[in-house]
Amino acid sequence: MRLKTGLATFAALVLLAGCGGYDETTTPKPEEPAAPSAAPPPDCTNDASALRSYAPTGDVGSGKSVQEIKKSGKLVAGVAGDTYLLGSRNPDDNQLEGFDIDLAEAIGQKIFGEPGHVEYRVITAADRIPFLQDGTVDIVARNMTVNCSRWEQVAFSTVYYDAGQKILVGSGSGIETPADLAGKKICASAGTTTVDNIRTLVPDAEIVTAPDNSRCMVKFQNGEADAFTSDDTVLAGFAAQDPYAEVLKTERLSQEPYGIGVRKDRVDLVRLINQVLEDMRADGRWKASYDEWFKDQLKVPGVQPPPVYGR
Amino acid sequence: MTQTASQPAPTPQSSGTTAVTGRAANASVVPSSSGFTENVPRLLNRIQTIGIVACVLFGALAATVQLLGWQANGRAAENTEQVVRAQEIQSLLLRADAVATNSFLVGGLEPPAARAEYDETIEKALRLVADAAEAQPADRQVLADLNATISDYTTSVAQARDNNRQQFPIGIAYLNDAGTLLRAEALLMIQAVVDANSDRAVDEMDAQHPWWLIVLTLLTLAVLIWLNQQVSRRFRRRVNAGLAIAALIVAILGVATAIHAGVRNDRNDALRDGAYRDAVDAATARTAANDAKALESQGLINRGSGATYEAKWDEQAAAVDYSGVLGDLWQQYVAAHQQVRDLDDAGDWEKAVELATSTADEAPTAVLNRFDTAAAERAAKAGAEASDGFGSGDGISLALIVVTILGALAAAGAVTRGIDVRRKEYF
Repeated sequence: MRLKTGLATFAALVLLAGCGGYDETTTPKPEEPAAPSAAPPPDCTNDASALRSYAPTGDVGSGKSVQEIKKSGKLVAGVAGDTYLLGSRNPDDNQLEGFDIDLAEAIGQKIFGEPGHVEYRVITAADRIPFLQDGTVDIVARNMTVNCSRWEQVAFSTVYYDAGQKILVGSGSGIETPADLAGKKICASAGTTTVDNIRTLVPDAEIVTAPDNSRCMVKFQNGEADAFTSDDTVLAGFAAQDPYAEVLKTERLSQEPYGIGVRKDRVDLVRLINQVLEDMRADGRWKASYDEWFKDQLKVPGVQPPPVYGR
Repeated sequence: MTQTASQPAPTPQSSGTTAVTGRAANASVVPSSSGFTENVPRLLNRIQTIGIVACVLFGALAATVQLLGWQANGRAAENTEQVVRAQEIQSLLLRADAVATNSFLVGGLEPPAARAEYDETIEKALRLVADAAEAQPADRQVLADLNATISDYTTSVAQARDNNRQQFPIGIAYLNDAGTLLRAEALLMIQAVVDANSDRAVDEMDAQHPWWLIVLTLLTLAVLIWLNQQVSRRFRRRVNAGLAIAALIVAILGVATAIHAGVRNDRNDALRDGAYRDAVDAATARTAANDAKALESQGLINRGSGATYEAKWDEQAAAVDYSGVLGDLWQQYVAAHQQVRDLDDAGDWEKAVELATSTADEAPTAVLNRFDTAAAERAAKAGAEASDGFGSGDGISLALIVVTILGALAAAGAVTRGIDVRRKEYF
């Protein structure tokens, strides 16, 4: 009898052992990507002298670099391809268009005397300086901010637009001034001075970051942020894509002077570009371009900054 | 010859113990010269008990080992099916991404056929996730998380599509987000399911234990032989018939079951290195190929970032390593892809997009579709072959288990009879 009970217990244990389940499957945690390091503080002073450029004296079309470009038959311009209103592709006719594109066209027309000689190359923000330095592009018209440390690597035209930080909010959200942002979520591109500025301005706001401006807009549209701060030109482009977004008519929260980037040694090309900017001031092309792209969204009249020479 | 009870034992037989002979009625102990005494009937009882226990224990343990092996093979088949299922989910998710990104390039005029394929692929993937969760409870939590992530992914793709249709460049950001979500989260989860079930399958494939059976048999035979020695020492007969028959049964059972387990083990190894490996490789290649196609489209959508996405394309292409029919199809795609890259790098983005979205037979999309179909077929076929292979021979296994138990009982019976005969002679 003992034998039989022993056998029965044994059989039961065997079956139990066979019916045991597996351990729960788990997903290994991915490595955290390295946080973007903040840019090192510039070792030069960003004051008015950083905005000085080369005066367009003499015959701007006769310089060495300008002759080189004329000979090659094309002006290669580094631009953005997905920044609405500054430089983006119009799917209807597959052409690039925007405020920066208009400037590149004007420069090309000055060099060659007729339109149609500009070859556009869509580049990323990180490529702007390297591509100028190695000659992949002749000019960069891609909302490039002029500052003293960049002047050590490339040359700039005089400032063609005084951009600055502004805030985009949902229409009807009740936010009218930066102070209204207290306790709300505001998105800014990670690792930029934009984040620091807004933190200083509205210490009670909750800062949300995203890898780039477009992702910030996505967060805003998905309700993960109540507001979004960046350059006013960039915000204008996003507001134009969203009927429920508007740019607050506040003072600029920071200064982002835009200049056309050129290789450091091509001083004569810079002089030509500065002449183009003066021509556009005189015949109203600058204002027409601003009105076409930014007037509706920014709702403030555009002012072309005065030229600063003396470098 | 039979000993008669009245004859005295001639000489002491072995080390120090004296066999006591005498009438059963006179079954009291007779002191011998060495001072040791022995009670033969009790000894016979003990021998019989030990013999029976040894046979029955052999039967139980051998049957248990075989049962565990049979269950393990069943689980190997199921785990293989789960691996195939999980890899199909992986391939389908990346196929959906390849279709969605390619359609995005066409702008707001997404071809209806592409849209239908995307919807169908996602639906299939979701159904497979439900099947997989049911098939393996241990995977349930991860698969539930995967479901939520796939839902987020499809939302992002839909938002990208809607913005693209309005000709808003922010659609590109939504599509990039979708791609990141897929690769940084969803694919990690499904890869965890693939890896976990692969490990489980391979563990079960190794769960046949022919050596345990051999050891068991040898131990039991040793016990029976020792018992036989004990009996023959006292009864002057070399071989006890019952014990001999029992030993024979145990030996035959041991050899048969060990051979069967050994054969299954070898077949498991062959399947693991053959059909199972083939299925896993084909599915991995299919996933990598679709990932590469999606990256090709992303490189064009994110105009100006061609180089970044090309580096990722190279990584995926390295995972597709085939010769034969699959290898040829893949090389055709690689050549077509290179044409697209050459056009974009030369500055002719529009022509590059035209080629990448063309539906012509030699264009990259059609070529990749052919590779995808071929790889999918191969993975499914090899997977079915592996899983059937693990399950085959089940009938023999079960039969052997039953035979083992019956045989062990028969051996125990033989031991009983064998000792009973001695006992009868003694009395």
